[in-house]
Amino acid sequence: MGFIRLVVLGFIAMTVVYFAISIYSRSIRREKLEDAWDADHPEGGDEAARDAYIEQGMVEYENGFRKKLIWLVYIIPTFAVAILLIVMNTN
Amino acid sequence: MRKVKITFRVLLFLIIGGFFHYVLPQHDIVRVTSTEVIRADFNWYNRIFYAQADAGNAEQPTRDIRLINTEKKKTWLLGFIPRDATEIMVYRNEDTGWIWPPYFKFDSSDLQAEAAALISTNEEKWAVITHYGWRIKFLSVYPNAVGIRQVESPNVTIIPWFNIFFFIFLFVAWRFIVAMWRQFRERSVDPLLEDAGEVWDKVDGHADAASEKARGIWGRFMAWLATWRKK
Repeated sequence: MGFIRLVVLGFIAMTVVYFAISIYSRSIRREKLEDAWDADHPEGGDEAARDAYIEQGMVEYENGFRKKLIWLVYIIPTFAVAILLIVMNTN
Repeated sequence: MRKVKITFRVLLFLIIGGFFHYVLPQHDIVRVTSTEVIRADFNWYNRIFYAQADAGNAEQPTRDIRLINTEKKKTWLLGFIPRDATEIMVYRNEDTGWIWPPYFKFDSSDLQAEAAALISTNEEKWAVITHYGWRIKFLSVYPNAVGIRQVESPNVTIIPWFNIFFFIFLFVAWRFIVAMWRQFRERSVDPLLEDAGEVWDKVDGHADAASEKARGIWGRFMAWLATWRKK
């Protein structure tokens, strides 16, 4: 029973953290793209071209490796528990 | 008002500090003198300080608990002044299982056997006991031993690696949450307030506060959600 509760609560907690980090990471990425565009076009540039540039960058992010790293939120705690289990219960 | 604030902060600090002091592992240098099993009839006020029946067993109102009786080397007074004295310390030895605190300890019986092997009456044997919890004599509460290992002499230096990394992790996590909150403010809340503020500024010096109030948490949340929608 305790095990099921741990799995369920742990899964909920990790999911909350996963989504929080995903949203944060996406926001950072978008801000960086905006800053990069603004640095290249000090006078502002074409609005539509700017949007296209940012959307292109966001699509690259969505398919990129960095986004997949967020899955570590699930993997690291699971491994930590497994290692703790082994360390605590072997003499 | 200032006094209330200070009292509140001190109280918060004591509660959080006490919580970590209770839950995090600590190391004691001890001589095991005996091990025993006593029946424990818990009361409503000390039940919270005990774990539960061994991982594979059913929970009953009353059960036996394993104790490890020791003579413990006193820690440095206030952490600074060395003292060469011993005191009596009794540890309970319970499974924490899958439940709080997350030590995932299922080997209480093995630990009891290890402790028994280190009983130090004929020859002097020193051991380091890792434990969490407090000894509260008035409530019959014992710290829970989670590990024991033999050491050569009582003068070993113990570095609390786990606690060091735990607090580093806690600090990093805290900074991360702050960074996330700032990003959220900067990207989602502030632009909204700026738009509203430009209009309101002409009307009232307190426009920002007013617009924030008028908008409400739900409105800001929905506006923030809209910023994530694909264009």
